[in-house]
Amino acid sequence: MNLTTFYLAIGGLILAPLIGGLVAGVDRVITARLQSRMGPPLMQPFFDVGKLMSKVIAPASHWQGMFVRWALIASLASDVLLASGADVLMCFFVQAGSACFVAMGAFNGNSPYSKIGAQRELFQMLAYEPVFLVAILCMAKASGGFDAFSFMASQQPLLFKMPLIVPGLIFVVLIKLRKSPFDIAASHHMHQEVVRGVYTDYAGRDFALLEIAHWADVTVVLWICSFLWATGPLQMLAVAFITLMIALIIDNISARLTWRTMLKRVAPITLILAIANLVWLYVE
Amino acid sequence: MTEAYIGLLVLWPLVAGLACLVLRGPGVRSALVLATGAALAVGGLALASQAPFTANPGFLASETAMHIAEAAAFILPVYFLFKGLQGKHLLVILFSIAQLGLASVSAFMVPAAPAAQSAVVLDGLSLALMLVVCFAGSFICIFALPYMKHHEEHLHLKVSRQPGFFLIMLAFLGFMNGLALSNDLHLFAAFYEATTLCSFLLIGHDQTAEAKKSAYRALWMNILGGMCLHAGIILIQKQFGLADIQQIVNPALWTGASLLPIAFIAAAGCIKAAQMPFQPWLLGAMVAPTPVSALLHSSTMVKVGVFVCLRLSPVLAGTTTGKILCLVGAFTFFATSAMAMGQSNAKKILAYSTMANLGLIIACAGIGTPIAIAAGIVLMVIHAATKGLLFLCVGDMEQTIGSRDLEDLRGIIAKSPVVAFAAVAGSMAMVLPPLGMLVGKWAALEAAAASPIAMVMMTLGSALSVVCWVRFAGTLMAGKSVSAQHAHSSALTSGPILSMLAAAVGLGMAAPWLNSMLLPPALANPMAGGWGLMPPLFILAMIGWIIGMKVLRRQSAVTLATPYIGGLPSNEPGTFVGALGRNWVLSEGNPYAAEIFGEPQWTKIGGALATALLLALLGGAFI
Repeated sequence: MNLTTFYLAIGGLILAPLIGGLVAGVDRVITARLQSRMGPPLMQPFFDVGKLMSKVIAPASHWQGMFVRWALIASLASDVLLASGADVLMCFFVQAGSACFVAMGAFNGNSPYSKIGAQRELFQMLAYEPVFLVAILCMAKASGGFDAFSFMASQQPLLFKMPLIVPGLIFVVLIKLRKSPFDIAASHHMHQEVVRGVYTDYAGRDFALLEIAHWADVTVVLWICSFLWATGPLQMLAVAFITLMIALIIDNISARLTWRTMLKRVAPITLILAIANLVWLYVE
Repeated sequence: MTEAYIGLLVLWPLVAGLACLVLRGPGVRSALVLATGAALAVGGLALASQAPFTANPGFLASETAMHIAEAAAFILPVYFLFKGLQGKHLLVILFSIAQLGLASVSAFMVPAAPAAQSAVVLDGLSLALMLVVCFAGSFICIFALPYMKHHEEHLHLKVSRQPGFFLIMLAFLGFMNGLALSNDLHLFAAFYEATTLCSFLLIGHDQTAEAKKSAYRALWMNILGGMCLHAGIILIQKQFGLADIQQIVNPALWTGASLLPIAFIAAAGCIKAAQMPFQPWLLGAMVAPTPVSALLHSSTMVKVGVFVCLRLSPVLAGTTTGKILCLVGAFTFFATSAMAMGQSNAKKILAYSTMANLGLIIACAGIGTPIAIAAGIVLMVIHAATKGLLFLCVGDMEQTIGSRDLEDLRGIIAKSPVVAFAAVAGSMAMVLPPLGMLVGKWAALEAAAASPIAMVMMTLGSALSVVCWVRFAGTLMAGKSVSAQHAHSSALTSGPILSMLAAAVGLGMAAPWLNSMLLPPALANPMAGGWGLMPPLFILAMIGWIIGMKVLRRQSAVTLATPYIGGLPSNEPGTFVGALGRNWVLSEGNPYAAEIFGEPQWTKIGGALATALLLALLGGAFI
């Protein structure tokens, strides 16, 4: 490991959750404007987390604190891996590990909503993991390597070689950002049928740490999407922003689907498109 | 000295097993099993320290040994035929007659091949299998001591059948070591058939109607595998007049030649490894007592199948046969992972997941590049430790609560914390980075870069197995504590379980180095590619572990919040006053999505597709 990798890793560790928090802020401002509300200030997510940090609330299970910390560590690790140009597949698996810990913690909770959330979270993972992996495999095939640096080294935007993975990536972003119509495992509003689903039993500082882990996840997912046009940092930012906008618009115009629809209809369709693109890259 | 150690590994278990049969006391039996474990550990490590080497120990290289091997090719099918007639099982009768025919062709109609130059060759692959047998096998046999005692108490047997049971268990370890080490095709085939015999006897051990049915099913499928093996051997004998495995797997030998014999032997491997459509024999085998399922059907015997395929792998690299074999494995990985998703029977989940992982290894064998072969061997070793661990845990939990259904195991962590914790750790080790199985899966995925369809099936199987294992672990930890009283467990139970846990984690940590040891010198850099990520990830995991344990200790002391249930807690535990002012009872259950992952439809459709792939494997090589 040379010094540059080290600096990149540290940069990823610090900046990624901050970027994720900013994304959450932008999300709230834009969603409010779409709904003709003023909305909170941009920095509101950070204030929220700061306040949560100071709260001491009885946990719902003895194990949850442990799983929350593991999820946070795994999420931050996946950012660091991506920032230091490591293997993107491994980064994906580490990030999936974080999601597993969140689900495990929710299994341990004592509220039925938390357990339903955990089960649904698993079905969501089942729905998005294959299509996300196939999308990464497409990028790896087109750029000739599995590490993040070769993804970013291509002269031509990867998008033109893999238009068919775009619906799949949007699907992944919607799920990972917990946006409608795929906010199946954890709804944003407490009055809905799963309450907060997988998050129901997390509270206080544990919940704050989980929120930071979520920000780190969001950064990883948007970052991987931005490889589609990785000819320069500005282009990558633009792609990430456009992806986020698409997700927000879909969020505001759609209602929640059931996990059955997600698993039986949406996941196969996006997956088949992505596979078609992968095979196409091989035939070419 | 080397030859003495080889003798120890192959013959000592047999001798100890016979001693178990003659000296029927439980104390003597425990001492013999523990001694065998120690002997295998010492012998295995001694041989490992000298690897790679070739040797000609008298008992494997002499004329007599060859004659015994040749005789076994007749005696075993005759025994199977006798059993088939006794049980009136048509397929067993037909296949054992066919196998007798093949044995006669091999012995009388094809010119005999000269014996292999060296009877024993120990390279990375055989070393891996040998160590799996010596360590995982020994731990499981030790675990079997208290388990079988309980088991027989439960069945109220008048005369203990344990002496015979341990004879077969221990003899099996010897046969497996012989199989791993032997370099002569005929010896290899004899040991292969011997494992079929052990499997048949052990599955039928309980002598219930279900056990007998499963035993016969396993028998006919494995005889079919034996037929494929013999067909391959006869073709090789005819074509090249060779019996030396090392010479046979030299790719130079096969340039321009038909790969049909290789395809036959690979098909035999697929059957032994319970690849679809032959998965029913492994599923049926789960009726046997847990040590049997752990030893034969998850961590050890099925490894014969993948061992065969990995052995052939250098010949398969870049060939059509290899590509089809890769698809066969990848398809089984996907389909059996899906079936594991739809299961609530804990032992069946383990069985399907075993087939899935074996499929992944066979896919690696089909790819055949040095990197893929190394990934396959790493997976084989780590899978043996992890799956052996999970089997022992499930077996022990089953004895604790008397059910093997995942729903009944809910919250078992409160009742038998050590074992449940080991099971949770084992299931995490199946799917999470940086532990071994995931690393192997990742390496396999990148090695499969030439075959997009295989990669897609691997990604699907990977997602399915993650969900399946997280749900498994979550279910064990969920729910209220069943009772504050902890179940009693003996050191002979927890010892093997904790040792296997240590092995699963330790091997995962050692994976980059294991991998580099298995690669040719030019590629042997443990930190090459993504493998360099593993040590930092392990350090991170350890930091995470320390932080997590600190938090756990702190949170263990606090009073828990009352559950959020959309109602008022009522006096009765597990109920609440909710909508309509009614008293609602809380109950939990996992959704298994049987309409998507149901066993019958997947068995049918998946079986048909897999049969087509296997036929393509043979047909493709034939054309």
